[in-house]
Amino acid sequence: MRYVPRSPREGINVSDEHPLKEAAVLVVGLSFLFAIVMLSLVFIVDLVVVAVSPETEARIFSGWTPGGIVELVDDDSRQRAVAGVLQRIETGWPDSPYDFRLLVADDDEPNALAVPGGVIVVTTGLLDKVGSENELAFVLAHELGHFRNRDHLRGIGRGVALAIFYAAISGGSGGADIGIAVADLTLRQFSRDQEAAADRFGLELVQAEYGHVADSWRFFERLRDTEAQPGIMAAYLSTHPDTGDRIEDIRRYARDSGWSTVGRTTPLDW
Amino acid sequence: MGLETIQLVNFLLPLGLLVFAYLLGAWIERRHYRDILAREAGLRSFPVVTFETLPDNWQVESVELVSGSVVISLDYFKRVIAGLRALVGGRVKTYEPLLDRARREAVLRMVEHAQANGYDAIANVRLETSRLANSRGDGNGTAGIEMLAFGTALSLSRR
Amino acid sequence: MQNRGGIILSNTETVPGKRIVEFYGVVTGNTVRAKHLGRDIMAGLKNIVGGELVGYTELLQESRNEATDRMVEQARSMGANAVVNVRFATSSIAQGAAELFAYGTGVRVE
Repeated sequence: MRYVPRSPREGINVSDEHPLKEAAVLVVGLSFLFAIVMLSLVFIVDLVVVAVSPETEARIFSGWTPGGIVELVDDDSRQRAVAGVLQRIETGWPDSPYDFRLLVADDDEPNALAVPGGVIVVTTGLLDKVGSENELAFVLAHELGHFRNRDHLRGIGRGVALAIFYAAISGGSGGADIGIAVADLTLRQFSRDQEAAADRFGLELVQAEYGHVADSWRFFERLRDTEAQPGIMAAYLSTHPDTGDRIEDIRRYARDSGWSTVGRTTPLDW
Repeated sequence: MGLETIQLVNFLLPLGLLVFAYLLGAWIERRHYRDILAREAGLRSFPVVTFETLPDNWQVESVELVSGSVVISLDYFKRVIAGLRALVGGRVKTYEPLLDRARREAVLRMVEHAQANGYDAIANVRLETSRLANSRGDGNGTAGIEMLAFGTALSLSRR
Repeated sequence: MQNRGGIILSNTETVPGKRIVEFYGVVTGNTVRAKHLGRDIMAGLKNIVGGELVGYTELLQESRNEATDRMVEQARSMGANAVVNVRFATSSIAQGAAELFAYGTGVRVE
C-alpha cells in the first residue's frame, strides 16, 4: 500500500451552466407562471363576483360603514348637497339594485371610493377642489359606474386573492419580489380597464341628467395641472390611466356619442 | 414627481445591487478558484485520507488533531437566484461552486496547518457543514455556512 | 459494499476480501437541491397528521445518489477502482435548500 499523489478532474462538483442563463430562465419562466396564476385568480374572483347578487351584497354589508378604512366626518356641511347631486344623477340608472348612501371622509387627497353595500365615500380634499356641480356629478357618476360593473367587489376579491398568492410564494426571497411585481402589473392593467368603463357609464349618467357633458373632465384637468407629469414607467404602473390619456378618452367618447360638450354649468354655493 | 421617483428607485436599487453583487461575486470566485488550484497543486504530495489504516512501512512518530474551517456567506445574486429556484425546485446551481470552494479552502487550511507544524500526512479526515442562522426576524435567514475539516495529522519517521 | 460502474464503494476501512495497493486522496461529491413549492405545501399538510413525506424521501435519496455519482466520477478521474470509508452528510444551506454531500478516499484495490 503506497501513496500516489493524484487530483480528481476539476469541475465535477459544480454545474457548468452559466449563472446568468439560469437567472434569465428562472425570471422569465416564473414571471410567466405568476402571470398565469394571477390571471386565473382574477378569473375565479370575477366568477364569484357575478355569483353574488347585489341583494346578497346589500344583506352582507347592510349597516356596515368603512369607518375602519377611512376617517369619516359626519358634520361636513357639504354632505347634504353632495347627496342631493348623487340622488339626481342616480335617476339615470333607474334599475339600480342599490340603495346608495354618501359619506364624507377627512382626507386632503382628492379621492372617491365605491364601497360594498352601495356606499360612496368622497374626501374633503375632493370637495375642496371641485369647481362646479357638473364636475362633482361626473366623479359620483364614475363611482356609480364601478357599482354597475361590480368593480368594488372585484377589488376586494382580488385583494384577498393577492394576499393568498403572496403568502404562498413568500418562502423564496427573490421569488416573492418577482411575484409581487407581476401580480401588481397584472391587476393594474385590469383596474385601468375598469376605470375606463366606469368613466363611460358616468358620462352617460351626466348626459342624461344635464343634457350636456360640459365640465365633466374639468376636475381631471385640475388634477393634471397640480400633479407633475409622470414618466413612462410610472404611467405603466399606475392603477388609473394617465390623466391626460383619460381626459382624451372621455372627450372622444362624448364626441362619438354626439353629446354636447358645452352647456350651462351649475356653480356650487358652499 | 415624488411617488414616481420612489417607484423608480424601488425598482432600480435592487437591480443595481444585483448587478453589482453578480460582477463582484464572479470576480471573487474566479480569483478564489485560481488561488485554491495553485495551493492544491503545491500540496499534492501531502497524503490526506479518510481512513486510519496506514501503509505498513510508515512509522508514526507523533500525532495531533488538526482542523481547518471557513465561514462563507451567500452573496445577494446567488441568494436571489436560489430564492427563485426554491419555488420550482431542482438543483440550486449557484450554491454549488460556493460550497465547493469553501470545502476545499477548509481542507487546505487544515493541510497547511499540519504541514507548517512538521506533519507528513492526515488520516481519518472528516468534513462537516453547518448553517449559521441569522438573528434577524424569525431566524430563518442564513448568516453564513461553516465548513469544517478535521483529521489526525501524522508525523512519520520513515515512509 | 456497493459497486457503481466498476468502482467499489464501502464505508469500512478497506474493501473486505481485497487489499489496498495504492491510495490517491480524498474524493468528494456534492449537490444542492431545493424542493418545489407544491412539495412544501403537501409536506405542510402532512405535518398535521404525521407519517412519511414520500416526496421528500425520494428527493433526498435521488440527490444523495447524485452526490455519490459525482464522488465516483472524481474517483474514476483519478484512476481509482474503489472508494473506501465513505461518509454521507446532509445539511441545510438556506431555507428550502439542502446540500447532500458524500466523501471518501479513492484507492486501488486488488
